[in-house]
Amino acid sequence: MRDYAKGGALTEVTFYILLSLYTPKHGYAVMQFIEEQTGGRLALGAGTLYGALNTLLEKGWIAPWGEAEGRKKEYRITPLGRERAERELQRLRELAATASEIMGGAT
Amino acid sequence: MSKKCYRFFGGALAAQEKWLNRMAARGFRLARTEKLLYEFEACGPGKYQYRVEFVGQKSRKDAEDYRQFLEDLGYRTFYKNINLNYSVGKVRWRPWAEPGGRIATNATTYDRELLIVEKEADGKPFELHTTYEDQIACTGVLRGPWLCMTAMFAFFGVVFPNIIFWVLAALFALPALYYQVQIWRLRREAKTKEW
Repeated sequence: MRDYAKGGALTEVTFYILLSLYTPKHGYAVMQFIEEQTGGRLALGAGTLYGALNTLLEKGWIAPWGEAEGRKKEYRITPLGRERAERELQRLRELAATASEIMGGAT
Repeated sequence: MSKKCYRFFGGALAAQEKWLNRMAARGFRLARTEKLLYEFEACGPGKYQYRVEFVGQKSRKDAEDYRQFLEDLGYRTFYKNINLNYSVGKVRWRPWAEPGGRIATNATTYDRELLIVEKEADGKPFELHTTYEDQIACTGVLRGPWLCMTAMFAFFGVVFPNIIFWVLAALFALPALYYQVQIWRLRREAKTKEW
C-alpha cells in the first residue's frame, strides 16, 4: 500500500480498514463494514483485503485479536494504528477546510 | 448428478475462469479437481461464480494461509495444477517466486499453482483484487514465469547459437509482453486514481 509515514496521506482502503478495526472484526466483517459505510462505492476484493491486512500487521498498526484456534481470525487496531488514523483525520480536516475555502458553496 | 470433464488450460487462467463460469451458468458447480479432471455437480444455473488465481509464487504456508482466509470469507477453494508432469519427486526452482516459494516441491505449491475460488452469486461483481496497486502486483507475478523462460532461452540462444532457442524465447516473450502492457495501463490509471 502506498502509505507514507512521513506525514503523508493514507490510502482510502487503509483508512477504512483502520476505522473498521476500532472494534475487533474478522475479514468478512471488515469487507461488510467498508461496503456499508461507503454505500457500495468501495467494495474490497478478498485478495486485496488479505494483502492490506498483512501489510498493516507487519507495520504493527493492527494486531490479531482473541484466540484464532478453530475460528475465523480477528483483528483489532493497535495504539500505533490509532495514532496514524487520528493523524489522517487531521489531514482530511485540513484538506476539507482548504477545499471549502476555495470552492465555497460549490455543489 | 455429476459430470466429469477433462480439460487442460495450462497458463491460460482467463480461459479456465471463463469456462468454469460458463459451466456454472449452465447449472454445473465444481465439486472436485484432479490433474485434467473437473468434476461438477448440478446446481441452479448461475448460482456460483469463479475466479482463478495464480499462487505458485507463494510459499506453502502463505498459500495455505491465503486459502484459509478465503474459506473464512465463505468462498470455496480448490487447488489446481498449472502444468502436466507425471514424474515422481518433483523439485522446481522458481527464481521469480517470493522467498519462501523459490524451491517448489510436492510438499509446497508444486502442482498447486492455481487456486480456483468459488463464490455464491449475489448480483455483485466477483473480483479478488480491486486496487490498482494490488492488480499491478498480481499482474507482475503472472509475468514473472514467462519473463524467466524468455531470459532462459535467450541465454541458451547466446551460449548455443541455434535459431530454435530464439524462437522459443520469442514465444515466451509474447505472454510476458501481454502482461507488461496490462501493467503499463494500470500504472497510468493509478497516477490519478487510487482504486
